[in-house]
Amino acid sequence: MAPHSSDDLSTHWARHELGEVVISAKDLQAKIVELGQQITKDYQDNPPLLVCVLKGAVNFLADLMREIELPVTVDFMAVSSYGAATKTSGVVQILKDLDTDIAGREILIVEDIVDSGLTLDYLLRYLGERGPKSIEVCALLHKVGLQRVEVPLKYVGFAIPEAFVVGYGLDVAERYRNLDAIYTFVGEA
Amino acid sequence: MSNPNAPEWSKGELGAELVSAEALRVRVEELGAAITRDYAGKAPLIIGVLKGAAIFVSDLIRAIELPVAVEFMAVSSYGAATKSSGVVQIIKDLDVDIAGREVIIVEDVVDSGLTLNYLLANLGARGPASLAICTLLHKVGLQETAVPLAYVGFEIADDFVVGYGIDVAERYRNLEGIYAFVGTP
Repeated sequence: MAPHSSDDLSTHWARHELGEVVISAKDLQAKIVELGQQITKDYQDNPPLLVCVLKGAVNFLADLMREIELPVTVDFMAVSSYGAATKTSGVVQILKDLDTDIAGREILIVEDIVDSGLTLDYLLRYLGERGPKSIEVCALLHKVGLQRVEVPLKYVGFAIPEAFVVGYGLDVAERYRNLDAIYTFVGEA
Repeated sequence: MSNPNAPEWSKGELGAELVSAEALRVRVEELGAAITRDYAGKAPLIIGVLKGAAIFVSDLIRAIELPVAVEFMAVSSYGAATKSSGVVQIIKDLDVDIAGREVIIVEDVVDSGLTLNYLLANLGARGPASLAICTLLHKVGLQETAVPLAYVGFEIADDFVVGYGIDVAERYRNLEGIYAFVGTP
């Protein structure tokens, strides 16, 4: 894959670690407008609590919530991998739980990327035990073909093939979250 | 007075639009450019204080042309103790060690400065190479302690404001612009 041109001022600091643009900033924004309109329509009578999983989904959440024309509320969770246990079972350590009681609420989990689905499946069960009225998922990216458990994704921004991607909140070793588009990563992880 | 041009779902609780979405976009670009210039050759760690600063952090980092890293802190007020001394409970601390790092704390609103002062002391004790503040809004005339603000988006009067991440009872964070709140909290 050809490295991204270093003449491009928007990514001159990326030191040739970026490959092609997978999703441009323009395409991201257009899709998020669509998702926001759909969510506005679907939750007209019951504005959801948007649950954002830190840190990858923050950019997506920030843009998505502004496209929802409803009095939504927002809460954040921070989770940490248990390493091998997380890889096989999806179980994560909850570093920061919700501030809000979700019993009886309409919950929409906002995720940056779904691949195996294991951690998301764990979160759905973890939050589901608290008696929300409904619990759904809005994922910006869905890496197809990697699912190890069936997770219902009500809203999906883009289906992408299995590639190492960064930008728009997604990182490699904490780098590149601040790109406004999504790129393949071609450097040393 | 209620703003007839505010989103329909705001049910008459919004007053004047104090900062438009376009003005926010332009100013955030300027702040990003200033940070890019001031930290050229460095890789600052941006710390967003939840939840109010989430949208601002998200837009600001995209306007910074440097390999920044991002962290979030969640803090909770102790009620009267927070009001008088700024002491807060840290609900979620940083995931990383900031010793030797260039750190920029990103806030939505600074008013008394007490809580921010507490955060500065708390983070400063961890030995960062530098510690600066970038706030979107600065409510002038309310300072009870002098806090150095390296970057300020807008100075505003002591109005009750909502939007662009800022809430009243968790509502209105998702507005694109910043409005005066004229409803009942």
